[in-house]
Amino acid sequence: MRFGKVVERFIGLIPVLLGVSVIVFLMITLTPGDPVQIMLGDARSSPEQEAALRRDMGLDRPIHERFILFIANALRGEFGLSFFHRRPVIEVIGERLPATIELTLVALILALAIAIPLGVIAAVKRNSWLDRLSTVGSLFGVSLPGFWFGILLILLFSVKLGWFPVSGRIGFSAEVRAVTGLLLIDTLLAGRLDSFWQALRHISLPALTLALPMAAVLTRVTRSSMIEVLRTDYVLFAEAKGLRKARVIGLHALKNALIPTVTVAALETGSLLGGNMIVETVFGWPGLGRLVVEAIFSRNYPLVQAAVLLYAVTYVLLNFFADILYTWLNPKVRL
Amino acid sequence: MTGPFLPPLLAVEGLTTIFPTRAGPARVVDDVSFHVNEGECLGVVGESGSGKSITFLSILGLVRPPGRVSAKRMIFAGKDLLALGEGERRAIRGRDIAITMQDALTALNPALTVATQITEVMLAHGRARSQEEARAAAIEMMRLVGIPAAANRLDDYPHQFSGGMRQRIMIATALACRPRLLIADEPTTALDVTIQAQVLELIAELRRELRMSVVLITHDLGVVVEQADRIMVMYAGQIVEEGACRAVIEDAAHPYTAGLLASMPSLDTLDRPIHPIRGQAPLPGPMPAQCRFFDRCEQASEACRIEVPLRPFTDGRTARCIRLKEGSHG
Ligand SMILES: Nc1ncnc2c1ncn2[C@@H]1O[C@H](COP(=O)(O)OP(=O)(O)OP(=O)(O)O)[C@@H](O)[C@H]1O
Ligand code: SF4
Ligand SMILES: [Mg+2]
Repeated sequence: MRFGKVVERFIGLIPVLLGVSVIVFLMITLTPGDPVQIMLGDARSSPEQEAALRRDMGLDRPIHERFILFIANALRGEFGLSFFHRRPVIEVIGERLPATIELTLVALILALAIAIPLGVIAAVKRNSWLDRLSTVGSLFGVSLPGFWFGILLILLFSVKLGWFPVSGRIGFSAEVRAVTGLLLIDTLLAGRLDSFWQALRHISLPALTLALPMAAVLTRVTRSSMIEVLRTDYVLFAEAKGLRKARVIGLHALKNALIPTVTVAALETGSLLGGNMIVETVFGWPGLGRLVVEAIFSRNYPLVQAAVLLYAVTYVLLNFFADILYTWLNPKVRL
Repeated sequence: MTGPFLPPLLAVEGLTTIFPTRAGPARVVDDVSFHVNEGECLGVVGESGSGKSITFLSILGLVRPPGRVSAKRMIFAGKDLLALGEGERRAIRGRDIAITMQDALTALNPALTVATQITEVMLAHGRARSQEEARAAAIEMMRLVGIPAAANRLDDYPHQFSGGMRQRIMIATALACRPRLLIADEPTTALDVTIQAQVLELIAELRRELRMSVVLITHDLGVVVEQADRIMVMYAGQIVEEGACRAVIEDAAHPYTAGLLASMPSLDTLDRPIHPIRGQAPLPGPMPAQCRFFDRCEQASEACRIEVPLRPFTDGRTARCIRLKEGSHG
């Protein structure tokens, strides 16, 4: 795939993102209730104060002007002040985002590391005890709610066995500089193995909680696509060439079988970023999910607006990356 | 052609492959015995479902469960295939016995480049010591099968080639290790007539050049007539007739073979209207103890309601019909 194609495809995302911003803008604009009143809350205020705030927020201008202003501001990362924190929204989100990204990434890697080998083995050794076990396990994983898993894990590994901390994430200690914002990487960059170990212990249970239901789905997807691929002529032909079984399965079959897995993983990762809210709350993980939950309860509109836009952009970008990955897995797909 | 004292390259005895079906176990290959001589081309004909492909997949050890393969004897180049372990069987596949699949459009992996798919055979069997050597050999192979601008097209994917070119790439892959036996399963279906002729000419040429034996599986008797030294006719999992190609074509011993010949659109030695065989081949499953062609045979009689054995009758020819008499043909 050529670089030019990738750029072209990326530019094609702009209308989608524009559409999303219109929806986010209208969502807030059309919500019943006067933002000025909400912002001022119960505090007594004079009509002059109200008018000043209205002007400040640009609410006295016609709607199309407000939209253009909204877009212009959004492009500069300006979403106004968070009502509650009295600080720019983008700053508040920026503080919480790395924790969520780190949790999502670790969960994704964990899910793939469980699902791909398990799905492949289940497909190759169909109807074996391992296949049956993975079927039952997946059924549990899909049907049980994620937080329930989380609570179970906390009870077993943290409370009873004491292997993992009950909740939270270690903060940046003085020695570790924030480079990526991801503690697992930053601690390694700083050469602080002890802090790395702590970070790992903290992230293990919440990541596992997010990963298990996802792994359950991905195992099923990988297994069924692998079974289908193993029946194809090209796998038979690969065997007829006298290749080793590992190559036939690990290259010829898997490269084709992973296509549905990638699709589903991208979708799941998107919903994971949103669905984090419960798990982050259960584990006291200082991420975006928990922030948004708090913001919704306190009607912190600018923050919710920015977060929704961020989710949407992330979702679109995830699908973009999944598409690029397809073209590598399946060269017939043209961007 | 080989002398009478050389042992055959491949000798198979009592090959049986069984698939379970709802009606019961289906012997889709039923007690099949035959041989292929060095440098010879054996034509295998029969209607769809007669067991041609499964016969040779069974010999390669490529029948998947729940299919079960058994044989009394299977000797290739002096080696007892039945006594070999999985690793040794694999070493023979692709190196000494190669197959081109019936459907060229689905036999190449859509996710891997042509380079990968041709070079990996040579690398797997130690026929090339490095990537570069394997690539050079792959280019040579692609030229041999007539792919234009081979060097530039090595890193393309299968879908970037036409159907005919993909067929050639599959043949190039099969021939990459210069096998002693090539099993060409319907190498001409799905190709238009001019390309058909080219592919057949190519196989004949390579046969002379590489001195390999060829098993040519086909529906098309016309193809067999031109290429094969001997011919083997299959019906419902059994061999019904076998012998030198000319002799069988000119004077078919089995009513089924005669029927196939009569249903051929054109054959220069014969000039008669097309006359398809009535009825349909039996579905796979348990068979009654009678000639399997019974329901469709115009010469069938009550005497045919027995398990008819394959019998030699003349000039090294065999057939499976009660009406055969010693010396009645030839
Ligand atoms: N995996 C399988 N399970 C059950 N039956 C099978 C399986 N594979 C093949 N068969 C049956 O075995 C019989 C022989 O199949 P085979 O592919 O050898 O036929 P063929 O002579 O090559 O036909 P064609 O000319 O259509 O290729 C068919 O009746 C088919 O239905
Ligand atoms: S045995 Fe009888 S039924 Fe069978 S082919 Fe011969 S004549 Fe026909
Ligand atoms: Mg076939």
